[in-house]
Amino acid sequence: MTYNFAFLDEDTKRMLRRSLLKAVAIPGYQVPFGSREMPLPYGWGTGGIQVTAALLGPDDVLKVIDQGADDTTNAVNIRRFFARVAGVATTERTVDATLIQTRHRIPETSLREDQILVFQVPEPEPLRTLEPREAETRTLHALADYGLMHVKLYEDIAQYGHIATSYDYPVRVDGRFLTSPSPIPKFDNPKLHQSPALMLFGAGREKRLYAIPPYTEVESLAFDDHPFEIQQWEHQCELCGSGESYLDEVIVDDRGTRMFVCSDTDFCGQRRAEAQA
Amino acid sequence: MLAAFAHPVFDSQRSFRELLQAMARPAMPRALPVLPPAPAPIAPAAMAILLTLCDATTTVWLQQPEGEAVRHLQFHTGLKRVDKPQDADFALITDPVSMPPLDAFARGDLRYPDRSASLIMQVSAFRADGQTRFAGPGIRTSETLAIDGLPGDFWQQRTAQAPQLPLGIDVYFVAGQQVVGLPRTTRLLEG
Repeated sequence: MTYNFAFLDEDTKRMLRRSLLKAVAIPGYQVPFGSREMPLPYGWGTGGIQVTAALLGPDDVLKVIDQGADDTTNAVNIRRFFARVAGVATTERTVDATLIQTRHRIPETSLREDQILVFQVPEPEPLRTLEPREAETRTLHALADYGLMHVKLYEDIAQYGHIATSYDYPVRVDGRFLTSPSPIPKFDNPKLHQSPALMLFGAGREKRLYAIPPYTEVESLAFDDHPFEIQQWEHQCELCGSGESYLDEVIVDDRGTRMFVCSDTDFCGQRRAEAQA
Repeated sequence: MLAAFAHPVFDSQRSFRELLQAMARPAMPRALPVLPPAPAPIAPAAMAILLTLCDATTTVWLQQPEGEAVRHLQFHTGLKRVDKPQDADFALITDPVSMPPLDAFARGDLRYPDRSASLIMQVSAFRADGQTRFAGPGIRTSETLAIDGLPGDFWQQRTAQAPQLPLGIDVYFVAGQQVVGLPRTTRLLEG
C-alpha cells in the first residue's frame, strides 16, 4: 500500500498550512483545525505528527524526542513512521535536524533560526482545569481575562508557600494570549522567550494549533514577591557531569538506589563523546 | 490554458515553508522557490501562494477578476470566488493603488481572530534602504524595509487598525520572486 508523501492527503495539508500561518500571525492563540484520525492513538502525538506532516519535505532531516530521549517508544515509532511514509532522513543529533518533533522537552542545545520545533500537546487550553466550558474559556481569551490563573498560582503560594506548578507552567505570549507551553518542565520555559527557532504546537484530540514565532516575548506568570524560578538540582548528571541540564531521577536496582542523568540523551551523549576524545 | 505547479506535492510544500518563515520573520524578503505560469494580471509569485493555500474550502476575492485569470484559478484550485471583500479568506490585490480600504476586509472577531482575511498584494519592489522600520514578534530588534507601490495612506490605515489587536489583517507582499510577510502584530516604528 502506498500513501501520499508524508501520509496526509494534499487537502488536509493545505488546511493545516492555512491554520499554521494564522497561528503564527496571532502568537499564542489556539486556531481550531480539522484534526484527522492518525495511525496512532490520541495522546501519542496525533497533533504533533499532523503538523510535522504538513511541514515535511524531502530535504528535511527529522529528529523526534520523547521527554528528551530519542530512543523511547513514542520517539522511535514517530521517527520510523515518517522515514516510511515520507522517506526523509532522520537523526538523533539536535544540530543536524531541520525539524524536531518533541514530547514534553526542549533540547538543551540552543536551536537555530533554520530549525523548527513541533510540540505534541495533550491539552492546549491553559484554563481548562479551572474552567471546563469551551465557550467560557474562549470569552476569557477574547477579554484577556486571566485572573483565574493568577488566583490558582496565588492559592499555590497560600497553601505551599511557593508556586507548586512544575510543568505546563502557563505563559503569556507577546503580552496577549495566555498559552500552554505543553507539559514541558518549567525548566524549559526560558527557552521559549526570544527563541531563534519557530515553535509550533499541535493538539490532535483537542483540534487546536498554535505557535510562538521566533524572537517573541514569552513571560512565565509570576508575582513581584514570588518571581518565576526554574528547577535546580543538588546533583550533576552521573553520566556526563553536566550541572546545567534538566535531570531525570532514575531508580537503577530493586533496593531503591537512584541516579540522576540528563533527560536530553543527545546532549548527554555528545558531552560524553567529547570527554572521551 | 496554462499549467500550474509541475510537481504539486513538492512545489506547494517548498512554497509553504517559505511562506511560513515569511510570516514568522516579518519584513524580511524571502525568495519563493517555484514560480508557476500565471495569466495577467496575476503575478507568478502570487499564483504560487494561491496554488499553495487555496482550494474548494477557501473564499477568494479578486481585485481584477479578468476572464482568463478566473478560469485558470478555478480550474487549478477550485476556489470559491466572492464578490464582497468582507467575505474573503484570501484577497488578491493586483493593483494596490486602487485597492479598497483595509476596513473592507474581515478582521475576525474577538473569539475567533483567525477568521480574518489574508491579503496577497502585488507591489513593485522591496528596498532595504528605506526609512520604514518594523518591530514585533519574529523581529529580533528592528527590520528596515521599504515597500514600493502602495497607496499613499496604506500605513495610516494599518496603524489605525492596530488598537484592535488581536483582530487584524495579515499581508503577503510579492514583488518578482520575493515574498514579504506582514502579520497584524508587526508595528511600524515612527521616524
